[in-house]
Amino acid sequence: MSTTKDFIVEQLKSEISGFKAEVSEKSVGKVLKVSDGIALVSGLAEAMMSEILIFKTENSEVTGVALNLEDSQVGAIILGDYTAIKEGDEVVATKRILEVPVGENMIGRVVNPLGEPLDGKGKIETSKFYPIEKIAPGVITRASVKEPVQTGIKAIDAMIPIGRGQRELIIGDRQLGKTALAIDTIINQKGQNMKCVYVAIGQKESKVANIVTKLTEAGAMDYTTIVLAGASTSASLLYIAPYAGCAMAEYFLDKGEDVLVIYDDLSKHAVSYREISLLLRRPPGREAYPGDVFYLHSRLLERACKLNKDFGGGSITALPIIETQAGDLSAYIPTNVISITDGQIFLEPDLFYKGNRPAVNAGLSVSRVGSSAQIKAMKKVAGKMRLEAAQYRELAAFAQFGSDLDSETQKKLERGKRLYEIFKQDQYQPLSVAKQVTAYYALINGFMDDVPVDKIREFEAGLYKYADLNDTALKLIDTKKEIDEEVESNLKKLIEDYKITVDYLIK
Amino acid sequence: MKISAQQYAQSLFESVVGKSDKEVKAVLKNFVAVLGQNREFNKEKAIIEAFIDIWNRERGELAATLKSARELGPTARETVVNYLKDKTSAKKIILDEEIDEGLIGGFVLRYGSKVLDGSLKNSLDSLKNKISN
Repeated sequence: MSTTKDFIVEQLKSEISGFKAEVSEKSVGKVLKVSDGIALVSGLAEAMMSEILIFKTENSEVTGVALNLEDSQVGAIILGDYTAIKEGDEVVATKRILEVPVGENMIGRVVNPLGEPLDGKGKIETSKFYPIEKIAPGVITRASVKEPVQTGIKAIDAMIPIGRGQRELIIGDRQLGKTALAIDTIINQKGQNMKCVYVAIGQKESKVANIVTKLTEAGAMDYTTIVLAGASTSASLLYIAPYAGCAMAEYFLDKGEDVLVIYDDLSKHAVSYREISLLLRRPPGREAYPGDVFYLHSRLLERACKLNKDFGGGSITALPIIETQAGDLSAYIPTNVISITDGQIFLEPDLFYKGNRPAVNAGLSVSRVGSSAQIKAMKKVAGKMRLEAAQYRELAAFAQFGSDLDSETQKKLERGKRLYEIFKQDQYQPLSVAKQVTAYYALINGFMDDVPVDKIREFEAGLYKYADLNDTALKLIDTKKEIDEEVESNLKKLIEDYKITVDYLIK
Repeated sequence: MKISAQQYAQSLFESVVGKSDKEVKAVLKNFVAVLGQNREFNKEKAIIEAFIDIWNRERGELAATLKSARELGPTARETVVNYLKDKTSAKKIILDEEIDEGLIGGFVLRYGSKVLDGSLKNSLDSLKNKISN
């Protein structure tokens, strides 16, 4: 007991003796008006855009950020308890742009948009700070996207491949599994040399708590940071959350590493920005969003990039999420973000309720990077998959009218049914590329034609188990990353051997 | 378009500068009439403040307040005035002095939107913040 007391006293003594009072001239203003997380401040003639302001209240100091620089006053958003601020309080300009702590120690933590811990695991020791707003890397620093991000989701890795440095939008109505796709992708990054940042914007804290538990169980928190701005946080914190998450990712980018950032979701982000803009009395435009709501998202998503070798070769892959209202893709924010990103994954309620989960619509979902972000083996088996899936949907609708179909069409329909069966995948069960290639290989080469449709999933699960036991084929795919004769013969043998063990084949 | 207090003050200054006392009186009368017409008497306080600012700036004068724990000696006052002249290129400094024992020691100098806080109270406060964090 006494030793701790002595320790504290010693610490205190050294702190006090090391303390040097600094006298420097400061720019000071006065609070004119406070309302709903916004403050108008007089004075502060030299304030910069997005400069940190300190509001000196009676008992504490509250931080704010300058957003509106006007003739005789400054409009600021307040990042803390705005009820503590009173009219006439002093405001000090700090001459620092808003920044967040970054570094290795942020990994595995749940933090708020200011980088302060929310998980009760104590203080985060970091020495580096990054500004939350940064100009995106320019043309000469970039390289083309060609390495894959393996999401571990069969329908996506085959049909809508995502590359490192790409921006792929996940879009759909509520409750269709948008977040589930993102979380599965994070879980599948284990051992793939990827850091992850999950930014929750306006999400229920209970949902985020579930996500943290799931990620911890899956061992994914070893490479993941969660930036949480929950539904109860003020609009100003929601607004800076994605930029803060991006800044944390940029630290790893600058070290030449690959990072995956998930913004969940940007529609709530746009709503919070609308709130701030309206309170700051900026003129409203379409759907009452301010004029610069496009720039709000374009400047954020443009920071996702693949740098070339001379600049470290790192990458930031962005998976923004947008929630639509009743499938309305032509609303303001969805069209904006669709046009900014390099493709979108569209989730459809019809498919979802039919039991096709993940409910990825093969026709409306695209990836503008395309097959250059796939390994050769996947390219080979998945080449025509997208077309086939879309054709099947068309044929199936058509086939409802008549029963007399020629054998060619019959065959296509049967294959299509099995393809859609293969696309089904349970949550939290991401799959390695090698296994995905095995399943697709079996399908397109007709090995599944004599498996009843309702037994496909059983067959598939058995195939993976069997492949794990006799893993020469899987290992070959992993090392060679393409399907040559050796791999092909191994795959054929594996699938044929496995088929002998099942008893439900159509004779 | 609304006219801001700043604009009122600026135009008032421009119309009175270099005029005789009699003329100034007439101008003021007109000015108040205009304010009444525009129903903007509520801006009175802001206009007066802005007018003093403009007046001082245009004539090379600078108003500053100096709070100190104890009364300052002439040399200390001289230093402060020279410091302000150095910083702002003002020719004349109008120093408004106040004694505030709450500062414990040192002084706080304010001019425009700038503050130079060299008080002991401020140092102690920042020490308190540093230790409690």
